Amino acid sequence: MIEKPTSYKIMTIIKSVAAAMVLPVLFIYIMIAKPDYRIMNALAHVVLPVANAVGDVITWPVRVVGTMFDNLHELSTLRAENEELRVRLSDALANKNLCDVSIAENKKMESELGLARSIPHKTVIADVIHDNRALHHNTFLINRGTNDGITPGMVVVSPSNQFAGIIIDGGANFARVRSVTDTDTNIAVRIAGYEVYGFLTGNGSSTPTIGFFSDPNFRAAADLQLITSNISGVLPAGIYVGSMKNQTDVNVLNPGQLSRVIVLQFDNGSIYQ
Amino acid sequence: MKENIVNFLRKIFPFLTVIFLWRLATPFWNPGGILALIPIFFCTFIRPTPWFMPFGLVFCFLIDYNLNTLCYWTAIYCLCYAINGFQIFVDLRDMDYNAIDIFMIFIGVGIFLSEIIHLNWTVFGRMVWTFAWITTLYLPITNFIRTVEHDR
Repeated sequence: MIEKPTSYKIMTIIKSVAAAMVLPVLFIYIMIAKPDYRIMNALAHVVLPVANAVGDVITWPVRVVGTMFDNLHELSTLRAENEELRVRLSDALANKNLCDVSIAENKKMESELGLARSIPHKTVIADVIHDNRALHHNTFLINRGTNDGITPGMVVVSPSNQFAGIIIDGGANFARVRSVTDTDTNIAVRIAGYEVYGFLTGNGSSTPTIGFFSDPNFRAAADLQLITSNISGVLPAGIYVGSMKNQTDVNVLNPGQLSRVIVLQFDNGSIYQ
Repeated sequence: MKENIVNFLRKIFPFLTVIFLWRLATPFWNPGGILALIPIFFCTFIRPTPWFMPFGLVFCFLIDYNLNTLCYWTAIYCLCYAINGFQIFVDLRDMDYNAIDIFMIFIGVGIFLSEIIHLNWTVFGRMVWTFAWITTLYLPITNFIRTVEHDR
């Protein structure tokens, strides 16, 4: 075995001491910078685009092949999808008149009861650029950021107006969205058509669970529809979240199903933490 | 000239491998770009590469950003670097199979601690899969780096 020179040993110890000193710095930062961690996020807003740009250059052949296979798969399923869409369109058209009548009746009742519903004053359409699902985390990145007026706390829905997640961090040209299936998600919901409230909690799987019903005697059943409730004013009421799969599990939108989303900007400025 | 370019590419190959694996993050095969920890671990502890430590630190930070784990892998990396530098009992560079056993402890403990609070059957399944997949790819990737750098 070759004996290492003393200068090498000293350098190793100096580098180890420097690495060890980073630990308490990180620990103190994590303790005091709650909950927004501005420095770390600001650092990520600079480093991430640079690393992504370099990564794009290095990985382009792989991504071209991947895109080609995706496109081939999409083409092969196009006929079946077209047939399915025709059936769904027929169903939707059959229900359209009924929905129009219901919407008109609903508006009339809301004005008679004096209900105020928060309506987004602006919407931003964004593409999903990266699916970050990993272990118990379910986040994704979209290609709109603070330059487009996007800030943490805004609600993200699918083009079909189904709740998809909450913006948790925004860079200049990208934003990170916490999906409804993420383990940190805990939102107040209401069973549509009932005055029964509950909390929807992500668990890392594709079907989050609902619990803590306001009515203890209420028994949830499959196919009941869930919408956001405005409890504590954290989320605007009335956004479709999903449907019950069984007594506890809920079918929701998963990040893998999304390619384009809509970010809603509300007047009330409610911030979801 | 040509030799200079080849040597340069050979030198930056470990760095490119990290960026490559981090950028190709996909939910099932490479969640959050976690496979990038293989070259980061290898080129820091087993086959120390000049200037790799700060680079590894940046990419641990980026993996943390992808995984939404605030500084977790960054802290684990710094901790391992400090422990390895202070100890004189085991020389990781001389271990068989590129010290895969040490890597398994590093990645196993890291994944387990990050998931223990949120443990359920789904997360447990993903945890086991991620651990098995990373450790399976460890030897091919590290041997590839060695081969490119004419290290055997």
